[in-house]
Amino acid sequence: MLHYYDPKHAFDPSLVSPERDYGTPAQLSETLVTLEIDGTEITVPEGTSVLRAAALADINIPKLCASDNLEAFGSCRLCAVQIEGKRGLPASCTTPVEAGMQVTTQNTRLAKLRRNVMELYISDHPLDCLTCPANGDCELQDMAGAVGLREVRYGFDGENHLDAETDDSNPYFSFDPSKCIVCSRCVRACEEVQGTFALTIEGRGFESKVAAGQSEAFMDSECVSCGACVQACPTSTLMEKSVIDQGQPEHSVVTTCAYCGVGCSFKAEMQGDRVVRMVPYKGGDANHGHSCVKGRFAFGYATHPDRITTPLIRESIDQPWREVGWEEAITFAAERLKAIQAKYGRESIGGITSSRCTNEETYLVQKLVRTAFGNNNTDTCARVCHSPTGFGLKATLGESAGTQTFDSVMKADTIVVIGANPTDAHPVFASQMRRRLRQGAELIVVDPRRIDLLKTPHHLGAQHLALRPGTNVAMVNALAHVVISEGLEDREFIAKRCDESGYQAWREFILDERHSPENVEAITGVPAEQVRRAARTYANAPNGAIYYGLGVTEHSQGSSMVMGIANLALATGNIGREGVGVNPLRGQNNVQGSCDMGSFPHELPGYQHVGDPAVRERFEAAWGVPIDDEPGLRIPNMFDAAVAGDFKALYVQGEDIAQSDPNTQHVEQALRSLECLIVQDIFLNETAKFAHVLLPGSSFLEKDGTFTNAERRINRVRKVMPPLAGKQDWEVTVELSNALGYPMHYDHPSQIMDEIASLTPSFTGVSYARLDELGSIQWPCNETYPTGMPTMHVEDFPIGLGQFAITDYIASEERSNRRFPLLLTTGRILSQYNVGAQTRRTDNQAWHDEDVLELHPADAELRGVRDGDWVGITSRAGQTVLRARVSDRMPPGVVYTTFHHPGSGANVITTDSSDWATNCPEYKVTAVQVEKVSQPSAWQRQFQSFDRLQLQLLHGAKDEAARPPTAERANE
Amino acid sequence: MSRSQLDTLIHMANQIAINNAHYGDAAERVHTHLKKFWARSMKRQIVEYLHQDGSQLSPLARQAIERLAQHQSEARPTSA
Repeated sequence: MLHYYDPKHAFDPSLVSPERDYGTPAQLSETLVTLEIDGTEITVPEGTSVLRAAALADINIPKLCASDNLEAFGSCRLCAVQIEGKRGLPASCTTPVEAGMQVTTQNTRLAKLRRNVMELYISDHPLDCLTCPANGDCELQDMAGAVGLREVRYGFDGENHLDAETDDSNPYFSFDPSKCIVCSRCVRACEEVQGTFALTIEGRGFESKVAAGQSEAFMDSECVSCGACVQACPTSTLMEKSVIDQGQPEHSVVTTCAYCGVGCSFKAEMQGDRVVRMVPYKGGDANHGHSCVKGRFAFGYATHPDRITTPLIRESIDQPWREVGWEEAITFAAERLKAIQAKYGRESIGGITSSRCTNEETYLVQKLVRTAFGNNNTDTCARVCHSPTGFGLKATLGESAGTQTFDSVMKADTIVVIGANPTDAHPVFASQMRRRLRQGAELIVVDPRRIDLLKTPHHLGAQHLALRPGTNVAMVNALAHVVISEGLEDREFIAKRCDESGYQAWREFILDERHSPENVEAITGVPAEQVRRAARTYANAPNGAIYYGLGVTEHSQGSSMVMGIANLALATGNIGREGVGVNPLRGQNNVQGSCDMGSFPHELPGYQHVGDPAVRERFEAAWGVPIDDEPGLRIPNMFDAAVAGDFKALYVQGEDIAQSDPNTQHVEQALRSLECLIVQDIFLNETAKFAHVLLPGSSFLEKDGTFTNAERRINRVRKVMPPLAGKQDWEVTVELSNALGYPMHYDHPSQIMDEIASLTPSFTGVSYARLDELGSIQWPCNETYPTGMPTMHVEDFPIGLGQFAITDYIASEERSNRRFPLLLTTGRILSQYNVGAQTRRTDNQAWHDEDVLELHPADAELRGVRDGDWVGITSRAGQTVLRARVSDRMPPGVVYTTFHHPGSGANVITTDSSDWATNCPEYKVTAVQVEKVSQPSAWQRQFQSFDRLQLQLLHGAKDEAARPPTAERANE
Repeated sequence: MSRSQLDTLIHMANQIAINNAHYGDAAERVHTHLKKFWARSMKRQIVEYLHQDGSQLSPLARQAIERLAQHQSEARPTSA
């Protein structure tokens, strides 16, 4: 804990290091206050604590209950100081600075007080420091050293807590109350950082103890296992089990989480090339030192025995896999691709880029398709999640991306959340949103389900517009109708920033009485008065911000809804400053990046259309080959073409289309029609079971690159361990391209980024050197914006003026009828991620080891279904069987499930209904019937036998290679 | 239960048409959409269908595809 004097940093309070803890949070006041601490003059913003002011001057006052991510608490008394002219010894954490204050932090009196405080703490603390898991990282031990504690006069025989029992219920951390000093840091972290309020101090005085929930085990409480308490604990009371097992890490590397679109920065804390723990990085601009159960704890999949570590090939999918070397696998793949093109034509093959891989890797796959394949048949999983965002925002605001930073929410007065469930899908941002809600912001949720955000502790009066699935556009039109008909629009903004004729046409359209809340009520099921109130709350707020997710995009009118949201923001002038905006919450870690990198069949990197000759010319000059001027096939079009027999080979990097895409039986039929399917993945995923070539992928821990999060923030991914199969994913694409006769030469992903920067106008200022310097960059980053652009559209739009779009409500063809009277909507859960390939191979299984069907008690009763019964869910596409969970979170008539487990077959039921503009599937509305059943569906039985067969074919390959069995394999 | 490839394309074209019907320049918007987002093979199939039958297309979709056909015949022939 010894801090060395650094003249560069010592006296400039604006230069704070994310590596240090300054005791209390930074204050943002522009009024500065000068005081003297130990004879050193220091100037800090008004409201700063004496503790922090001292720390900024590199004077480190002992502390235990203080941490700069928590509000000051003043309970440990260790940070007491003496202040000239003030009585007693006040706690420096709770004492704000005053001009001219003279503070003494060290003298005999203070030393004695601190030693006495420590003596009391240690009198009720085990003295097993040498064998304690916190040894080497214990603030209590550090403070005992700092105050010079030499004896405990009270002895250790008195009443104590040393026999308190450890709670080991959480798979990732243990709670050993015998080591607890009741500093409340964990309780405050749960409240202030995470916002769950699962922990409390129970009892008074000597009886005070930390309790989860109603004095339950951690796993039985409301704890969401975000780990904020573990990080906050100054002792080993709350401790990662990985540290207990392995000991303290010896070095760390800052990198970016590979789960959701929040893109949290983490310190991967290592022993050699083994990750001991992931600690959210305080210097990360997306997460400011917070994380969720996935990012912090669920990294064990990277070293799971199921990892594919050797390339595999086979002639047909009913044959055993053959383990081969990289060269043989690449040659096999390339020869097949060439033969297929020779036989069926240039357009008969394509590729799918990964929204989980890095920008550099995604860029290379689309480049491979456009150069080596010679067509534009490239697409990415954004097709099935946020393609309507790209389309809708480009059409209205001129750029296919969200407009704000995450931090912007802290200036929002009304927060509108539409079709998103941030506490489960974007948990770290949800915590920030909840912080703002506790400060008093209004919340409007537009969602059929009663999502957890509505139950934010210490926030009252949230408005919930529980609309029928599939009626989003009717709802957004009704909201806009209220804004315009009640004169709540921002006339100045519209006049200055929006296209006049487009606005007039839209105004006339939206003023039509058919859009009034009273008339729309029959469609959405939401009482008109609620809609009017919500519209007023949004339009009248000084700052109104809209956040949306897949509940907006994954509809037959997904693109219309995105444009409808943009209309609403334009009409109310909620664009172009902090606290407002249109904010898509992106699903996977690099969905934004995969779109930016030209994964779509119609767009080259930077959303530049392939039909534009000037654009093509620049890429052709750089890449040295002609580029097809027609868009290629999108994923669903590829499937249709495959079934029709025109599309014969596919290269899939890091996606699992067989599980994630709708109408599974159609997808399976398409995959079986392929003559060559090349899958590059870290596991034998569902898609790989239909593959002829399986190339081992590398996890985010095994490669260098960048991810771009939902706020357009480009973050560095840094390699902390060697790739298990010897190659990073970009190296594999390079080799495949070379084998196909289109040479690629890169020694490091930084060179790929340099090429991206040279061809993408919004990336011209991006380089690895610049990223290392700035930490992260929000694109556009170019000559005009050398450090990037946190808030977009401040002065104008990339298309000049904002464009209102006419968004007529067209009912989905997926509607309930006598045969299928219920509407199924699908979504996600906190502990699992997407297809679950990663999280299912971690202890996150403890929270959600099967997908269930949630249905309303009334719907359950009507069908004689009880909680836990097996129910068959049938749609026009197929049938599957899940266990029922009766839940009043669902409105009557709507049922819900997740798709994290392949055997659940959630997508056997979802149909080919899709967004009119982008073909994004309508996952959120499927008409279904639910009935009690006693056995798995026909599809599930077939899935199980196919799954068994494919695992045999894989293990056959492994046995044949006759490698010495590892401990894990022996246990299988 | 899956539609045939052609049925899907017809359905998509009609869906694009109905979602743009409210604009004054609807036919041109639908045409531009098809031009910008549909692959060559999809355009070829829908134009072929227009010439052979076209009965399942909405009037607006038909107008847009007629424009597409006209532009395609003017454009340079593409290599397979």
